Amino acid sequence: MDDYSESRRAGDRLAAGHGIDDPFAAAIRATRMAMIVTDASQADNPIIFANDAFLKLTGYERDEIIGRNCRMLQGPETSRTAIETLSRAVAAGEDAKVELLNYRKDGTTFWNALYISPVRNDAGEIVYFFGSQLDVTDKKTAEAKVLEHRDGLEQVVEDRTRELTDALEQKTALLHEVDHRVKNNLQLISSLLLLQTRRVPDPALKASLKGMLGRVNAIATVHRRLFQSEDVERFDVSAFIRDMVADLMGSAGRDDIEMQLNLERVDIPAAKAAPFALVVNELLTNALKHGFPEGRGGRIFVGVSRLNGDFRIEITDNGVGMDKQASGFGLTIVQLLCQQLKAKCETTDAEPGTRVLVLLPVNGAH
Amino acid sequence: MSGRALEVLIVEDEMLLAIELEHLIEEVGCHPLGCAMSSEEAVALAQRLHPDLALVDVHLSDGPTGVDVARKISQDCGGVALFMTANVKRLPEDFAGACGVIGKPYSEHGVKTALSYLAHCLREGQAPGPTPVGLTLAPAYANLWGLDQNLGQTA
Repeated sequence: MDDYSESRRAGDRLAAGHGIDDPFAAAIRATRMAMIVTDASQADNPIIFANDAFLKLTGYERDEIIGRNCRMLQGPETSRTAIETLSRAVAAGEDAKVELLNYRKDGTTFWNALYISPVRNDAGEIVYFFGSQLDVTDKKTAEAKVLEHRDGLEQVVEDRTRELTDALEQKTALLHEVDHRVKNNLQLISSLLLLQTRRVPDPALKASLKGMLGRVNAIATVHRRLFQSEDVERFDVSAFIRDMVADLMGSAGRDDIEMQLNLERVDIPAAKAAPFALVVNELLTNALKHGFPEGRGGRIFVGVSRLNGDFRIEITDNGVGMDKQASGFGLTIVQLLCQQLKAKCETTDAEPGTRVLVLLPVNGAH
Repeated sequence: MSGRALEVLIVEDEMLLAIELEHLIEEVGCHPLGCAMSSEEAVALAQRLHPDLALVDVHLSDGPTGVDVARKISQDCGGVALFMTANVKRLPEDFAGACGVIGKPYSEHGVKTALSYLAHCLREGQAPGPTPVGLTLAPAYANLWGLDQNLGQTA
């Protein structure tokens, strides 16, 4: 007795219990969902019933599949894991739901969302397995496309990130290179001025050169400070003034003048640092040179604080007073740069001495 | 200078800076030994003259070789190197054995103060006080000369 006739007889027995007027049997025969029934009592669980939808899905004739195991639909690309899941469920007599690649009679493939479920008799023994198959090829293709698209996007993002990182590295290297050159050139300018100052015998000319050297040094101090902080956009005014005062007082060699500093931490935009530094340099140099002629000691106070919307920079000396402050060029520099910085500069009599107030707007102008 | 002036070698490829440095070295009572413009010249001079201190620029006429020069001088020549560079942040963490760095652009007063300060440190083995503005000491030397590193380093 071959498998086919045995399975057909089993199918006939199944059908005998469900006549033509059985609405459930009619529904299964006519539904668009592919369905099969296998005989669990026979060796290798052969198919004993398949509806028309199953035949249409797989391309087989009914007599080509009755008596055969469902694995006839599997092929080389079918997932081993999915097959194992199915085998385990059948052996354990449990439901299972897998999506696996199946092969039609003509060798073409489709994605099968397969659901199997055991059917038990009154005694609780498994007599049949019921299987339903849904073609989910479209869904799988769409999923694969999404994955492919995502991989593509990730690649694009990765490439772009690498490009940007490279560009940033190049930019940083360039910034360091330019910074390096600016500093070296400032050093060269200052050394040139110093060298000439040494050779010039005329005291007036020497004084002029020293004045220029002081101004170059003020700008140099700015550049030494500029890239020391992490924020290249901001410039720490108080730290700069501390450096300037140390340098000016040291060069002046005036132990008879006491410096008093009261510096609040205040930042200005880096773009304003150089003109600001030049203003402070002129005011400090004026106080030192003109407030205290040789032999007259005293005190210079430098204060930095916030006042309403302004930074308030105060330089007060108790020297000989402002009548004697006559460095024309220095004052011109202060006036021009204050105009540029939109700052107010007020000079008053400190009785004795001179008080200069610079009010620098934190944002915008007065 | 306990009888003998501190002998200083200049390693700098900008002639104008080198000449000006010679003046500054003399003005603080030290003795300039000469000037090298390349790493080869620097090492040869250092081996021959045994300077107490070598002022070393990082970029020399043969490239960014100053770091190697500083290492050779401190390891093989028994001298102490001091960097003078515009690129303070690019120095190796151990300062290649050098005692510290003066950042460019430096001022006349900054260099003189730093030289006097280092002369004292080298002579006495002890720092006379906190490091002056413009000079940053290598951690190893700050330790050696008895400085609390947080106080010793300028900001």
